[in-house]
Amino acid sequence: MALDVLVASLVAGLLIGMVLALVALGLTIIFGVMDIVNFAHGEFLMVGMYTGLLVAQGAKMEPLLTLPLAAVVGFVLGWMCYFLFVKFLLRGPMVAQLLGTFGLMLLLRNLALLFFGSEDRAIHHGLLVGKSISMGMGVTVPATKLAAALLAVTAFAAVWLLINRTRVGKALQATALNAQGARYMGIPTDRMNGLAWGIGGATVTIAGALLVNFWAVNPYVGLLFTMLAFTIVALGGFGSVPGAFLAGLVVGLITEIPGIWDSISLAVGWRWMMDVPMTSFKYTWVYLAYFIIMLARPKGLFGWKR
Amino acid sequence: MEALRNAFDFSDSPRTDLMVVGILAALLVAFPLVPYSSFAMATMIQFLMFSIYGMGWNTIGGYGGQVDLGKAQYVGIGAYTTAVMLIRWDVPFWVSMPVGMGLAVGWSFVIGYPLFKLKGHYFAIATIATSLVLKDLFEVWDFVGAARGLHISPVKYPPPDFLRLIFREDIYYYYLLLAFFFVGILVINWFRHSRLGFQLRAIRDNEDVAKSLGINVHWAKIKTYALATAFVSAVGSFHAVYIKNIEPEDTMSLDISVLIALMAMLGGAGSLWGPIIGAGILIPLKSYLKEWLGAKAGLIGIDLILYALIIMLVSAVEPKGIWGLLDRLRRGRGR
Repeated sequence: MALDVLVASLVAGLLIGMVLALVALGLTIIFGVMDIVNFAHGEFLMVGMYTGLLVAQGAKMEPLLTLPLAAVVGFVLGWMCYFLFVKFLLRGPMVAQLLGTFGLMLLLRNLALLFFGSEDRAIHHGLLVGKSISMGMGVTVPATKLAAALLAVTAFAAVWLLINRTRVGKALQATALNAQGARYMGIPTDRMNGLAWGIGGATVTIAGALLVNFWAVNPYVGLLFTMLAFTIVALGGFGSVPGAFLAGLVVGLITEIPGIWDSISLAVGWRWMMDVPMTSFKYTWVYLAYFIIMLARPKGLFGWKR
Repeated sequence: MEALRNAFDFSDSPRTDLMVVGILAALLVAFPLVPYSSFAMATMIQFLMFSIYGMGWNTIGGYGGQVDLGKAQYVGIGAYTTAVMLIRWDVPFWVSMPVGMGLAVGWSFVIGYPLFKLKGHYFAIATIATSLVLKDLFEVWDFVGAARGLHISPVKYPPPDFLRLIFREDIYYYYLLLAFFFVGILVINWFRHSRLGFQLRAIRDNEDVAKSLGINVHWAKIKTYALATAFVSAVGSFHAVYIKNIEPEDTMSLDISVLIALMAMLGGAGSLWGPIIGAGILIPLKSYLKEWLGAKAGLIGIDLILYALIIMLVSAVEPKGIWGLLDRLRRGRGR
């Protein structure tokens, strides 16, 4: 019985980890290309979640079909944020950059609060909602999570191909390695920065539209994902795309540890272990992990930037 | 003695500035003499609280250039220490405040030692992480009331109680906080002239050069962080007896940390008057906007939207804040 729980937790952790990897992808691209940390990243995700939710509910559409729309919204959002705002931050000191993207985060969050209200909203319809798939060994997985994980991996692979197998991707990499040198070679680095923000926004809104199938959305949902994404990027290495994928899986597994702990303590029946259910610390572990990773290996697993 | 002389030495500011400051200080002292609404009084107290928080942040964030976004955890430590000690053991404020400061400073050493091995963004994110971890702990810790928080019942103590600081009228709180405020300015003024203050500015400008001059960079940052913590924790204790109802969400949330950093940034990080200017503009703006647009017109969050726009504008246009703007204007006129 204990083995069932363990396998089920591992599967769940890996599935959510794949989505989280997609969440973190945009952050690591933006950081890699232009050394700026986007605190509004989780809020971009929230925008994606609301896009998926409102379009799916308003047009009575299958939620998964809203993905392309969410991607367009995210790309435009990221692009606009760069050219209307972030561009001007780059001249200032780091303090200004930090607080600037923080301002962006507050703005998006409270605009959402103003327009959509503070209550939780969730999708209750769609092809996959409520169905589950048996994976053998007595493990069943909700179909929405499975689909989200598979689509997240697809999107991740698409972005990886874009970066590593196209001319634009090469230009993007050149900008990341040495912006001044890239400018001398005739690469429009300003447009590359905008593109990085566009791709960053698009990937994270896709992740949001995937998440909303099984995760309720409210205007405050962003911070948790910002922190998760920071942890993943720190673990994978700032600026590393494959690192983000592996670290996403690891962080997904970390979020499952408290659940395993609780079921073990329930099975063993020790009083002191049951007194404080570990699941209430589900994300505390992730914050701690960030702290420990940064101290033990600041470069992350695959990092090349410090 | 030297320290005391430094604390009262304002001679490096222009005389016009000092006159303006003197007039403003007199106005602050005289404010309760004119008829005021309780809302205006609450706003003034908020202003004083946040300018002291901002002064604390300014030592490490402004003079030291280390963007700390975890100050709220020390508000929480101060507030909880005072509340727990008062409720459980009936310990007066004047004992629990130093205890709270001690605990907060101790904690700041514990996490400051590893924290300051990080730099820049990594440091900022790590401060958020520690603050969130502490908040999560307080939300399940039964001894401090878990997520329900703690409530100090004013009925148990006949006001005015000067030992436990339980008053019915806000005016007592106002003058007490005003005293804290002036002491705070003197401490910051001392810090500005002290060896540590100069070391910190050297670190902000160029850490490698500072190191090569023989400054123990790591230790200087930790010491300053502890000083900043003491400021924040003292006002946190005050928050507990003034608000009387404390929860993890409204003492330790990220919003408080950001607000603190923002005050100092808007006014001008790394200048003596910056945090006070920032708080003087933002706090009244925030509470009146919330009152007029939020509560009356039903537009929730509109105050924070405006806030966010201000932060974005300041950081994109004038990262040195209003003080930097004034400085530039003044220098332009002098030329």
